[in-house]
Amino acid sequence: MLFFELLAQSLVQGCIYALIALGLTLVYGLLRILHVAHAALFTLGAYLGVLVYNASGSLLLAFAVAMALSGLGGVAMFRLAYQPLLARPPYVALIASIGLYIAAEEVFRIVFGASGLSFAQPPLQAQVAIGGLQFKEAELAVMVSSAIIIGLLGWLQTRTRIGIACQATVSDPQMAESFGIRLNTVRDLNFLVGSALAGFAGVWVAILNNLVEPTMGSVPSYKALAIIVLGGLGSVRGTLLAALVLGLIESFGTTYIGQLMDRNAIAFAFLILVLMMRPQGLFARR
Amino acid sequence: MDYEISLLTTIAISVLFALSLNLITGFCGQISLGHAAFLGVGAYTSAMLSQAGWPFLATLPVAMLLAAALGCIVGLASLRVRADFLAVTTMGVGFLFIGVVRQQEWLGGEMGLSGFPGSGLDKPAFLALALGLAVLTALLCLYIRRTWMGRVFGGIAEDEDTMRVLGIDVPRYKLAAFAIGTALAGLAGALYAQHFKFIGPDSFGFVESVTVLSMVVVGGIGSVFWVAVAAALLSALPGWFQFIGDYKLLVYGGLLFLMMRFAPGGLAGIVQSWRKPKPAAASAPAGAVAKGVQP
Amino acid sequence: MNANTTSAQPPLLQVAHITVRFGGLTAIDDVSFDVHAGELLGLIGPNGAGKTTMLRSITGVVRAQQGSVRLQGEALDGLAIERRIRRGLALSQQLVKPLRHLSLLENVALAAGSAKTASPLGSLLHRSEHDEQARALELLRSVGIAERADQLPGTQPLGVLKRLEMARALALAPRVLLLDEPLAGLNSKEAHALAETIAGINRGGVTIVLIEHNLGEVMRICRRLVVLDNGRKIGDGEPRAVMNDPAVRAAYLGNDSVAASAADAQNQETAHA
Repeated sequence: MLFFELLAQSLVQGCIYALIALGLTLVYGLLRILHVAHAALFTLGAYLGVLVYNASGSLLLAFAVAMALSGLGGVAMFRLAYQPLLARPPYVALIASIGLYIAAEEVFRIVFGASGLSFAQPPLQAQVAIGGLQFKEAELAVMVSSAIIIGLLGWLQTRTRIGIACQATVSDPQMAESFGIRLNTVRDLNFLVGSALAGFAGVWVAILNNLVEPTMGSVPSYKALAIIVLGGLGSVRGTLLAALVLGLIESFGTTYIGQLMDRNAIAFAFLILVLMMRPQGLFARR
Repeated sequence: MDYEISLLTTIAISVLFALSLNLITGFCGQISLGHAAFLGVGAYTSAMLSQAGWPFLATLPVAMLLAAALGCIVGLASLRVRADFLAVTTMGVGFLFIGVVRQQEWLGGEMGLSGFPGSGLDKPAFLALALGLAVLTALLCLYIRRTWMGRVFGGIAEDEDTMRVLGIDVPRYKLAAFAIGTALAGLAGALYAQHFKFIGPDSFGFVESVTVLSMVVVGGIGSVFWVAVAAALLSALPGWFQFIGDYKLLVYGGLLFLMMRFAPGGLAGIVQSWRKPKPAAASAPAGAVAKGVQP
Repeated sequence: MNANTTSAQPPLLQVAHITVRFGGLTAIDDVSFDVHAGELLGLIGPNGAGKTTMLRSITGVVRAQQGSVRLQGEALDGLAIERRIRRGLALSQQLVKPLRHLSLLENVALAAGSAKTASPLGSLLHRSEHDEQARALELLRSVGIAERADQLPGTQPLGVLKRLEMARALALAPRVLLLDEPLAGLNSKEAHALAETIAGINRGGVTIVLIEHNLGEVMRICRRLVVLDNGRKIGDGEPRAVMNDPAVRAAYLGNDSVAASAADAQNQETAHA
C-alpha cells in the first residue's frame, strides 16, 4: 500500500518536474544556456493563477492568463537577457540567469509580500478514491493534463512544419538558416512554449499546495537543472524520463533514507552518482 | 570602534573566501556553484575541534585539509563531466553537503552549532589574524599567477583540449586548482565560525555560493585585486546602507545580471577598457573560452 | 635524404595492424606502416578514406580495437593524448586553435615550457619565461612569422595561424611531428610557401607525418607516401610509383578526379625534372 502511495506521489511530482524541465531543455537544446531564471516564470504563473481565480472564479481563465503572461515573460527574457549574450562564453549567460532569478524572487517578495498568497476558495480539492488510494481531484487533473499537453507538444514537434523547423534549428542552426528558417522566430517560439508550460505548472502547484510564495521556484529550478542533466542535455524524451525517475527517487528516497539526508540532497546525490557512471546523462543517445 | 572592527573582519573573511573561488573559477576556468560547501566544511571542522578542546589556531590546518580533501573528491568528479554539467554538479555538491548536515544531530542538525569555545584572541587581534591571512592569500594568488602553474591554468581556462595537445596533464592541474582553492575556503570557514559564533546549514547554502561567485564575477574573473575589492564592497554593502540590508539579495541578483549583460569582464574589465580603448583585444574576459552561439 | 633509408635503423614510429570500428562501421581496417627517422611521410587518400581517424588513433583521441602504435619501440596504447605528447609526438591541428589571450610569442613559449609544466607541483616552482621566450622567437623565425611575435592571434590571417600551430608543435621538440592538413584553406601561393617551410623543417632533421589533400604539394615535398582508401592501406612507397599504381588511381579517379589530375601534373613535372 505504501508502495502505491509513493508511486502515486512520484507521478504527480514527476509531472510537475517534467513540465518545468521541458522548457529548460528546449532552451538548452537551442542555445546551450542553462536557463535558471526559467523558474521565475513558474512562480509568476502561480501568482497570476491565484490572483485571476480569486478575482474571476474561472479556472480556465486563470490558466490562460498565467500561461500567456509567463510565455511572454519568457520571450522577454530571451530578447532582453540572452540574445545579447549569445556570442559570449556560456558562463556569462548562466550567471546572468542566476542573477535574474534571484532578482525576480526578490521582486515577488517585495510586490506580493513574503508570507504568501492563497486561494480564497481552492478549486479541485475534493477527494477521489481509485483502487484503494485517495487522490485529490487536483492530483489527477495534473497527471491527465500534463500527459495531454506534453503529448500535444510532441505531436506538434514532429508533425507540423513549425515543429520540424524547431528540431532542425536545434541540430544545426546554420543549416536551418540556409533553408530559410528564421532563427529568432524559432527561439521566440521555444521560449514562449517552454515558459507557458512553466506557468502552467505553477498554477497546478498553487492548487496542490494552496500556497504561493516568492521562493517556491528555487527548489524546482535546481531540480529542473538536475533533471535536464540527468536526461542528457537537450533530449526531450530523456528529460521526461528523468523527471519521472527523479520523482520516484525522491519519494522512495525520503521514505527510506530520509534520516541521512534531506530531499534535495537525495536528488543531487542521485544525480552525482549517475554522472559519475554515465557522464553524458542517463538517457542521452550519444 | 567595535562595530568597525567587526565589519572589517567580515570583509577580510569575505575577501579570503572570494579569492579562493577566484583561483578555481578565475584562474582555471572551472565554474563552481557550490563553493559555500567548503566554507562550511572548514567552519564545522574548526567549531567541532574547538568543542573537543583544540586551540583555535590548531584547528586551522585541519579545517584546510578536510576542505581540500572534499575539494579533491569534487575535483575528481569534475574531471568526468563536461563544462555545462560542472556547474550543476558543483551546485549538487552544495545541496548534498547541507542536506546531509541538516539531518545529522551530532553536527547540530537544523539548529546548527553555537557556543563553541572562542579563539582566545580579542577582537582586534582576531581582525589582525583575518586580515593577515587575507593578505597572504592574495600574495599567494599573485605568486601563482606569475608561475608556470598560473600560465597553464590560464590556458586550461581558455581551451583545455588544446592544452592536452600541448602535453599538459589537464586533469591533474584542475585537481590542483580545486585542492588549493578549497583549502583556502576551508581556512575562511574556520575564521567564519569564530567570527559569527554560530553556524548552521543555512549559512552555507546555494545563496552563499552565488554570493561569493558574484564577488568573483563583479571583480572580474581572474583579477586578484579587483575580486578583493568587489568582495570588500559587496560584503560591506548591507552594513553601510541599512536599507540595503533588506534588499541585499535584490542588489546581488541585479548586480550579477547587469554585470554579465553590460560588463562581463567585471570591474577589472571596465578599468581595462578605460586604459586601453582598443577594440582589437579579446572580447571575452581573460582566460575564458571564446565559444558561443551565433547571434 | 633518400626515402629508402630503411637500412639497419628500427622505425621511429610503428603503426601495426590498427583496426578502428565505430558502431558497425570499420573506419580503419588492419593498417600498418612505419615511419623512419628523418622521413617526410605523406598520408593521403580520397575523402573519407580514414586519414583523420588514423591520425586520431596515433594520438590516442580514438581508441583502436586492435593493433598497436609504437614510438621508438615503446607502445603508446592506452595512453591519454597528453602522455603520448610527452613521449615525443606533437600535433599541428587542422582547425587551428591558438590561445587567444596570449600573443604569438607567448603561445609558442607556453609550449616550449613543457619541461617545467610536467607536474602542477613542479610548475609552481618555476617563474621565469625568459628562456622559453627566446626559444619561441627562434621558432617563429624558423616558420617565418617572427615579426608578428607580439601580436595577438585574433587579427592574424589563416596562413600565419597555421605557421603558429607548427611553431607551437615544434616547441615541444618532438620526435615525430604530425601535421593534419596544414595546407587546407590556403590559396595555391600560400600553400606552396607553407609546403616549402615544412620541407625545410624536415631537412633540419624533424621527422614528419603529413596528412594532406593537396596532392600537388605532397608529391613535391614527400619522399614517401602511404595511401588509404576506405580504411585500408592501398599504397606505400615512392610517390611516383604509388600514384602510378592502378589501385590508387582508381581510388582517386573514382572519388576525386581533380586531385588525381593534379597528381598527374606533378608526376609529369618531376618526371621531366
